[in-house]
Amino acid sequence: MFPVNNAPPAVSAPNRRMLRRALCLMALFGVALFALLLARLFQLQILEHERFERLALEQQLRDAPTAAARGVIYDTHGQPLAVSASVDNVYLSPAEIQAYGEDPALIARGLAEILGLDADELLQKCGQTGSWYVTVARKLEREQADAVRAFKNENNLRGVRLETDTKRYYPNSSLACHLIGFVGTDNTGLEGIEAQYDALLAGTAGRSRRMTNAFGTDLLFEQFEQFEPGRDGCDVVTTIDSTIQFYVEKQLRQAVADYDVQNGAGAIVMDVNTGAVLAMASLDGYDLNRFLDVSSEAQALIDACPDEEQRQELRREAQIRQWRNKALSDTYEPGSTFKIITLAMALEEGVVNEQSSFYCPGSVSVKGRSSPIRCWKDGGHGSQDLTQAVQHSCNAAFVNIGLRVGAERFYDYCEAFGLLEKTGDPDDPLTAVTGIDLAGESGSIWWSENTFCSPKNQSQLAAASFGQTFTITPLQLITAVSACVNGGYLMQPYVVRQILNPDGSVASERRPTLRRQVISAETSARVRAILEQVVGDPKEGTGRNAAVAGYRIGGKTGTSEKVSLEARTGIKQYIVSFIGVAPADDPQIAVLVFLDTPSNASGVYVSGGQMAAPVVGSMMADILPYLGVEPILSEEEAARMDVQTPALSGLPVYEAAKRVKESGLRFRSIGSGETVTDQLPAAGQTIARGTEIILYLGAKPSGEAEILPDLTGMDYGEARDALSYYGLYLRTASPVGETGRQRVGAQSIAAGTALAHGSVVTVTLIDSDETMLGIY
Amino acid sequence: MRYDGARLADFSAQESEGAPGRMDLSFFLLVLGLLAIGVLMVLSSSFPRAYYDPGRVTGGNAAYYFVRQLVFAVLGVGAMLLASRLPMGFYRRYAFAFLLLTLVLLALVPVIGVKANGSRRWLGVGGLTLQPSELAKLAVILSFSVMICRYRERMRSFRWGLLPFLGILGCVVGLLVLEPHFSASVIILAVGAVMLFLGGVGIGWFAAAFGAAGAGLFVLLTFFPYASSRIMTWRDPFSSSSDEGYQIVQSLYTIGSGGLSGLGLGGSRQKYLYLPEEHNDFIFSVCCEELGFIGAALILVLFALLILRGYWIALHCRSRFSFLVCAGITTLLAIQVFFNVAVVTNLLPCTGISLPFFSYGGTALLIQLGEMGIVLSASREILET
Repeated sequence: MFPVNNAPPAVSAPNRRMLRRALCLMALFGVALFALLLARLFQLQILEHERFERLALEQQLRDAPTAAARGVIYDTHGQPLAVSASVDNVYLSPAEIQAYGEDPALIARGLAEILGLDADELLQKCGQTGSWYVTVARKLEREQADAVRAFKNENNLRGVRLETDTKRYYPNSSLACHLIGFVGTDNTGLEGIEAQYDALLAGTAGRSRRMTNAFGTDLLFEQFEQFEPGRDGCDVVTTIDSTIQFYVEKQLRQAVADYDVQNGAGAIVMDVNTGAVLAMASLDGYDLNRFLDVSSEAQALIDACPDEEQRQELRREAQIRQWRNKALSDTYEPGSTFKIITLAMALEEGVVNEQSSFYCPGSVSVKGRSSPIRCWKDGGHGSQDLTQAVQHSCNAAFVNIGLRVGAERFYDYCEAFGLLEKTGDPDDPLTAVTGIDLAGESGSIWWSENTFCSPKNQSQLAAASFGQTFTITPLQLITAVSACVNGGYLMQPYVVRQILNPDGSVASERRPTLRRQVISAETSARVRAILEQVVGDPKEGTGRNAAVAGYRIGGKTGTSEKVSLEARTGIKQYIVSFIGVAPADDPQIAVLVFLDTPSNASGVYVSGGQMAAPVVGSMMADILPYLGVEPILSEEEAARMDVQTPALSGLPVYEAAKRVKESGLRFRSIGSGETVTDQLPAAGQTIARGTEIILYLGAKPSGEAEILPDLTGMDYGEARDALSYYGLYLRTASPVGETGRQRVGAQSIAAGTALAHGSVVTVTLIDSDETMLGIY
Repeated sequence: MRYDGARLADFSAQESEGAPGRMDLSFFLLVLGLLAIGVLMVLSSSFPRAYYDPGRVTGGNAAYYFVRQLVFAVLGVGAMLLASRLPMGFYRRYAFAFLLLTLVLLALVPVIGVKANGSRRWLGVGGLTLQPSELAKLAVILSFSVMICRYRERMRSFRWGLLPFLGILGCVVGLLVLEPHFSASVIILAVGAVMLFLGGVGIGWFAAAFGAAGAGLFVLLTFFPYASSRIMTWRDPFSSSSDEGYQIVQSLYTIGSGGLSGLGLGGSRQKYLYLPEEHNDFIFSVCCEELGFIGAALILVLFALLILRGYWIALHCRSRFSFLVCAGITTLLAIQVFFNVAVVTNLLPCTGISLPFFSYGGTALLIQLGEMGIVLSASREILET
């Protein structure tokens, strides 16, 4: 119990001890402890001020990168290939949704409706209240972003936010897709020029530093903002010519369809004098704007797969396949196209000349090989001079030539042509790249010096002489062949010729890079002359299907069997190719086309001369006039060319008949009037010479459709007449030969298609003389 | 001001030998000065939280805390003046009644108290909340003073000088531990010890008490992981700056950011929701950030002067009771100031102790100002020279 307060109050002053003790307390609590506190404050505020201030600022200042505009990629004529536009990202700030009491259900519903997203998923995102940044949608187009903005303002939502981002647009969709490449969601270049020149294109992002509260939003009164301006990316001017690229892709796509090519195809067009890549294509391509989407065939395969994990795996594989630039990343045995290189080194070394003669018995024995090497032609080519050996693509002759050059010199030349690089260790397998300014280039694969140069075993040298037992990239081949025909100069290939500052001024200019002169100008001229005979000689040249009327074209065929694949699986697959240069007397461009595994079922003999050569011819026919190279037609050639239909409507019959005859055409008439009232085909169409056209004399064309027959295998005249009988017409991009050996190899419109009267069908003519049918 | 209320004349006659004098003006002005700065700092430190209202309390009214604190400050000054007019005899007479009331309220807290942060420390009365622990501090000072005056020389014996006091402390602290309210317990134990020290209890007992406390602390730290993790956080708050150490690390950032002259009144950045309890237990950190070392030192000097003046008043009291009450209240004030500043500067492990006249909290401010009023009442007994 407490004491009861009933005693008289003790009224007395504090005694001395109390006072003494109170003084002690006074000293302790009034002085000593305060001194301690002041010392501590001095330590924190004065001595450690800078450290704590820095730490505090670190959390108070928010760094936000300000996007730098990514540079434009132009083609050589200033046509934009890749441009950037401003778009918006939408994100949620769930912490603020909670803090401001905004309705997650309303937000989820509204955004789901505008963006076509799942409302439940959005609701779940709204619930992540520990976060200030949850991405909802990236790179929205203007309309959707504006709708989100309107929704946000209408409902005064602070938890729904937009930020500016950039999106890459590729105006030409899939054109030159492998060259241009694409960027990922973070705007980093992932493939092609976008990847190779990423640092230049990207520029440097600026920074804005803001003082913020712990929610990351601005302070109430103190507005502190500091900008570090970024630098916009540079523009890149490429050597790509969109028009040439378009021609190349069009013809290559046609070839893939015509010959049912299984493993894709590629083509390169190079300026032989500078090494500039004018066009480079790899099929199948993809739309750069939707680089994740795979082709409909691949998608169908994926959809057919029941297992989700497998589907994703298939999808990833399909994507990687379509993104692969075969012209740069695939290596292959070049086959007979490589004979150009062997020829060049042999001429330069003087071990052969145009007067050398070679005898081909059908096979040739080589030291170190148990069975003799067979020439592609059973029974052999017999006796030939050097030009004929190249024209015939005779393996036996080239084994002979290679042996005359010798293994060591052969390797020295290959090194000089940029196809391999010696390491100093003769046991190293050898490799090399061209060093083109594109991501993803593969290196060649060659035997080690010790294996190749073994004096006891010449089988490697013998096979290499006609392009087998080593692999190189198509780009390496066209670069080396360019050196063979341009006067002997090995150039470094490149695709970017200029870098422009954001203000448009030139930041740097790429000059063609000469790596070395490999052969003399004189040797180069001799190589050109021989190559021209391969294409230009309509009787002996195995490359004659690449000829274009009026143009001097040199070239070489190639058909390489995938030896290692056959050894592994027993399946015979071929890559057929052709490399052409034009004009043959003063080359400007080289064109390489390769088709990986064409189908046997197309009706065309699987070989470079039959399949790839006409494709190069068609490309040349498009490209050379575009480049301003004038065709010079001989009278005979001119007499076989397709002709233009004259305008005949309104003319009296006799006058019309005269003009038809002058045009090199024939006609039949329908109706009994005196005046031409209509004609089929219409005026100004290019059609085969000698076609029978229809003149209407008072009658009307029926306007009916006809089913297009299968023309393959017919000669040009037969096909022409077969069509004109139905009121359909024919033309060709191939030069029409003097003999009747040319057959229709492919037609631009598939057989069985219904066509209106007067339609014109383009066919490819292939010289399929039996002396040409072979694997060379 | 002279005391001349007829109704209270009998108390006056009973206690004071001379006529009531003037209250101590410098003590009064120091209190008003600190209070003015404190209320201003509540405005400055609280408006971001009041505006953003993450706790959904203020409805976005930036002046919410300030207006409430201002109202209580005005009421508190009134309470102080009233308390200063009541004679010391009044406090002496009702000391035990007050202690009893406090114990009842403390006992009610675990039953009907308002829960916050895992503890029941408040009693809700209408819209107001009251921490009975604040009352308990005063009750201990008053009742101990009465008892010390009564036992006089017997204070040196265990039977009289220690046992009854420990009984009271045991009751009060026992009830506080139920809440639980660790910091209030420590303060009351410290104040109780100081009262006994003043009352003349032998020094040996204090040595023994410190020894026991040390041993108890050791046992606590060894066997209770919660307590030892507290110590770890104290020794190195940066190792856990995102959880346990967050508050103290933010406080150090805040204080350190101030530098010599500070970011200027209203210029704190840390108060933008980085620093928790910025208008409450950690208001002194915001003072440091905005007013710098100079301003913070000035505040501490004002507190020191107030405390020295409090002891000066105590030393000049002619009645032992007034001496004890003044010294007790002054010591209580000093302990609270020291603990608060020591905690926000991480001199002591983090625990919730408010800064008198500064921290937001209406009833606590009211009681603190009332206590100042009692000191002022005692100061009236001092004869003017």
